[in-house]
Amino acid sequence: MRVTGTERNVGPDGRPVYLLGVEMAQRYRHAVGSSSPFYLGLEQGVLRATRCTGCGASWFPPRRFCEEDLTETDWYDLPGTGTVVAATRVHSPPPFGGIDPPYVLASIRLDGVRGGITHRVIGDETPEHGAAVTVEFIDGAPAHPLLAFAFAIEGEAP
Amino acid sequence: MTTSAESGALVAGVGMTPFVGFRDDASVRDMVAEAARAALLDAGLSSPSPVDMGVAAYESDHFNRQLSLGQVLSDTVGLTGKPVMRVEGGGATGALAIRTALTAIRSGEARSVLVFGGETNGRSVDRTTAIEILALSADFEWETPVFGTFAAPYALMITEHMRRYGTTAEQFAEIAVKNRRMALDNPLAHRGMSITVEDVRSSAPLSDPYRLFDASLLSDGAAAVLLATGDWVEQHSPTFTERPPVAILGSGSATDRPRLSDRSEEMFPHFAAKRKAAARAYREAGIDNPPDQIDLAEVYDSFSGAELQAYEDLGLCPVGHGGLAAADGRFDQGGQVVVNPSGGLMGRGSAVGATGIAQAVEVVSQIRDEVGGPRQVPGARIGMTDTHAGVGSLSVVNVFGRVG
Repeated sequence: MRVTGTERNVGPDGRPVYLLGVEMAQRYRHAVGSSSPFYLGLEQGVLRATRCTGCGASWFPPRRFCEEDLTETDWYDLPGTGTVVAATRVHSPPPFGGIDPPYVLASIRLDGVRGGITHRVIGDETPEHGAAVTVEFIDGAPAHPLLAFAFAIEGEAP
Repeated sequence: MTTSAESGALVAGVGMTPFVGFRDDASVRDMVAEAARAALLDAGLSSPSPVDMGVAAYESDHFNRQLSLGQVLSDTVGLTGKPVMRVEGGGATGALAIRTALTAIRSGEARSVLVFGGETNGRSVDRTTAIEILALSADFEWETPVFGTFAAPYALMITEHMRRYGTTAEQFAEIAVKNRRMALDNPLAHRGMSITVEDVRSSAPLSDPYRLFDASLLSDGAAAVLLATGDWVEQHSPTFTERPPVAILGSGSATDRPRLSDRSEEMFPHFAAKRKAAARAYREAGIDNPPDQIDLAEVYDSFSGAELQAYEDLGLCPVGHGGLAAADGRFDQGGQVVVNPSGGLMGRGSAVGATGIAQAVEVVSQIRDEVGGPRQVPGARIGMTDTHAGVGSLSVVNVFGRVG
């Protein structure tokens, strides 16, 4: 932490006002934890989910324990296809950068699993509800591992 | 006099600071002290000593730069020695704190609870830092890397609402106009404005279809309410019988999947937690026809369309009719239910920990007929507050009403 400066002012009723400029920077080692196999899967170009070894319920985002029966889950690979529920064009960059605005963001229901993901759609076109999309892995070092992939529009909405 | 067993808890006092863009003359503890003092004086107390416990409401340590702020605030408002708990529930923080105080009174743990909340969401940090901090409200591992503005998930929800029900951007722009206009009559509001639907639609784009004037404000501010049993007010609050008595008639809370894309396709454009919270609160309050029985509602208008969706999920209009309701004036001043007479988050502003409490201050003041001027809802007897965290991950609905 460091003090960057001070300011003085006069407040309501003539009361004195004094302000401190303070700067703080934090660095973290963020444990991705039980989602680690998903992040490692991205390096192999695959999206992964978990499935309950007891009742067979599937989970995305992956869960280590099944919400239905508390049984431990196993990992499996997803086909990487899905369907758009809704999409929007976003006019500001995401916090880690890596995408120049405006960009297209969609809520995508993923095939082969119960659940979905909010993620980027490649290109300028905002897909309609029901549009089919397929994951594409992007070359180069992403600004955040989750930005190693995005979705491409495959077909027109029904 | 209505007993606490019948009413849950009586509202003995309310107080709040103005909501503003930046208080260069006050820290968060100063603002909370102002609001808490106002609530205690409103109850007719000359000292905080009769109060049994405190509930502190604030969302973010990042904005307040003070860990263990609950104890600091408790000390600041004069409750040292009494139990205090800090409550956090995102955008629903203030309302959740009131609900927590209610449970303490209902359980018999306390006879009086001072709820105080504040936040410095305004310009104590630069815009980039504020956006970065607020982005942590999304799921840090699955959502924050892909969107930094909450306009995005709200935009996804309203986009599906538009497709399914024919809702238009002009309809929710009417809400942005209404709430800013209402705020013009509220001396404590952050920024009332006289604007048009065209102004909203031509403001800077955030996340389609949302534009700058569809979004709410980030404010500095604080608010407080004093809840108590009937016995306690008889003993300690000389002002209680001098004006219309107000109680919490019902309270409900529920959760939903925090990540929007985990939710069912059927419920995607709706706030499922809001429906559940409202159902519980209405049941407790004996409300079976909300638009006929509720006189005013302070609704969580984080985005204009979120208020439109809330009309439906709070049962104020049929599902799918939110767009029509937004445009036909039924929730404007003089309408069936006056929604956000304070100006809402768009006009009065939002200091997160204080927001749900400031809503309660407005509702209680309205029921007491103390607001006056064009903002006063004539003959108001029942009012409610609605807030949620994230895009509806946690909802709290509190219903207040005149008793006797």
